[in-house]
Amino acid sequence: MSPAPAGAAGPAPAIAVRGLSKVFAGRGTHVRALDNVSADIGAREFVSVLGPSGCGKSTLMRIIAGLIPYERGEVLVTGGPVTGPRPEIGVVFQTANLLPWLTVVGNLRLGAELRKLPRDVIGGKVDPMLKLLGLEGFERAYPHELSGGMQQRVALGQALMLNPSILLMDEPFGALDALTRDRMNLELLRMWEAQRQTVFFVTHSIAEAIFLSDRILVMTARPGRILQEIPVDLPRPRDPKATRGSREFGEYVVRLSELMGVFG
Amino acid sequence: MRSRWEPVQVGLFFATLVAAWEAGVRAFQVKEYLLPPPSAVALELWQSRWLLLQHGLITLNETVLGFLAGAVGGVLLAVGIFCSPLARRTVYPLVVALQSVPKAAVAPLLVVWFGFGLLSKVVMSFLIAFFPIVISALGGLMSTPENLLEHLRAHRATWWDTFWRLRVPSALPSFVDGCKVAMPLAVIGAVIGEFVGSNEGLGNQIMLASGTGRTPLVFAALAAVTLLSLLLFAVVELLGGLVWWRSRA
Repeated sequence: MSPAPAGAAGPAPAIAVRGLSKVFAGRGTHVRALDNVSADIGAREFVSVLGPSGCGKSTLMRIIAGLIPYERGEVLVTGGPVTGPRPEIGVVFQTANLLPWLTVVGNLRLGAELRKLPRDVIGGKVDPMLKLLGLEGFERAYPHELSGGMQQRVALGQALMLNPSILLMDEPFGALDALTRDRMNLELLRMWEAQRQTVFFVTHSIAEAIFLSDRILVMTARPGRILQEIPVDLPRPRDPKATRGSREFGEYVVRLSELMGVFG
Repeated sequence: MRSRWEPVQVGLFFATLVAAWEAGVRAFQVKEYLLPPPSAVALELWQSRWLLLQHGLITLNETVLGFLAGAVGGVLLAVGIFCSPLARRTVYPLVVALQSVPKAAVAPLLVVWFGFGLLSKVVMSFLIAFFPIVISALGGLMSTPENLLEHLRAHRATWWDTFWRLRVPSALPSFVDGCKVAMPLAVIGAVIGEFVGSNEGLGNQIMLASGTGRTPLVFAALAAVTLLSLLLFAVVELLGGLVWWRSRA
């Protein structure tokens, strides 16, 4: 498998952002969150947005998700302008956002039920999803009985239950410890390699972005701009040992660290 | 830390208090109609047990009806205020203003309006229990976590689904807290109603006994009211346990 061509001529991109600016105006405050951001994300492409805290990368994701309005620019999802949350999009947030009074199964079903998918269709997806996520035996567990990693797995499963063609993820593993995060990265990668949704993945971890992505959009803070687009030309399927241990991986780390000013 | 000595400590503390009361009353030869010793109160409790039970059931009935009316009415009003910005601007300030009216002062009026029977006590109990329920239910509905609201929005949830599947369950812990405040208040409301105009109930017995100098019976009736209040609180606490996610949200 090779990465999808980045922004090449062909079918309409899954996500198209053109000249997008966003200002948060409050009482006496005026924060330029995004400034003239443009990006195309191809169908079945895995794109990460990498940037420091407060660079507007979450804002960008929320605008694409249809959760916050924008005044200037254009945002298209599968060719149509975004005016609100769209049916083909699944979102995974930094916090798992599980409902504490619902079991694992109840939470898995929640998104599909809210979106009014047929009950029998939902019911048929629960068991395969539990299996895919390695949550068998935890069907009746409540969120507070699960570890952070397992909670985030349920959140991912809730989004996957919708069969979304586009998956938006806002630092989904940001609150996890490093070991769990690495494992979740691998699991996400395996799922994506099998299903190939379009993924828009927000992160501030350089290694995570390189390991997962076909392409990385590097953002700068205040106002949020896209500084550079870096295609990640590492072979797939990727493997934690071979990929992360390769010389090319190291070179990407150095290049991105430089871009993000890690070396001062 | 909970140790196995804890119940013993609590028991010893109260036993000491009661013993000091008994000893003090005897040592200073306090007259029984001023302050009866605990032994006299205990004796009265035993001798008047059927009387207290009979009147206790009447107060219980008034309290439960008043509380339930307050819970149902309070929740309905809270939902109304929550749903309507107009009600939030008009009805809500009115409710807050009415809360500042001392309810006990209204009791004689209630007797004029609703008579000496059951209804005036239920209304009194309702009036006092109502407010904490409105405030807690409304507060619960308004403080749904923002991240969960956004999450449901991303799932294109309808207003109705958001209300029933997220706002109501996340408001329940706060509502239970309101009920815990309202339940003892409902007891007080019923007793005040009985003070002002009635011929039965524990409040009525307290009035009668103190008017005839039977202070031990006053204390025994007070003990009965307290017991009633504690029992009802325990019921609320037990039912509140159904909202087990209160500390997990």
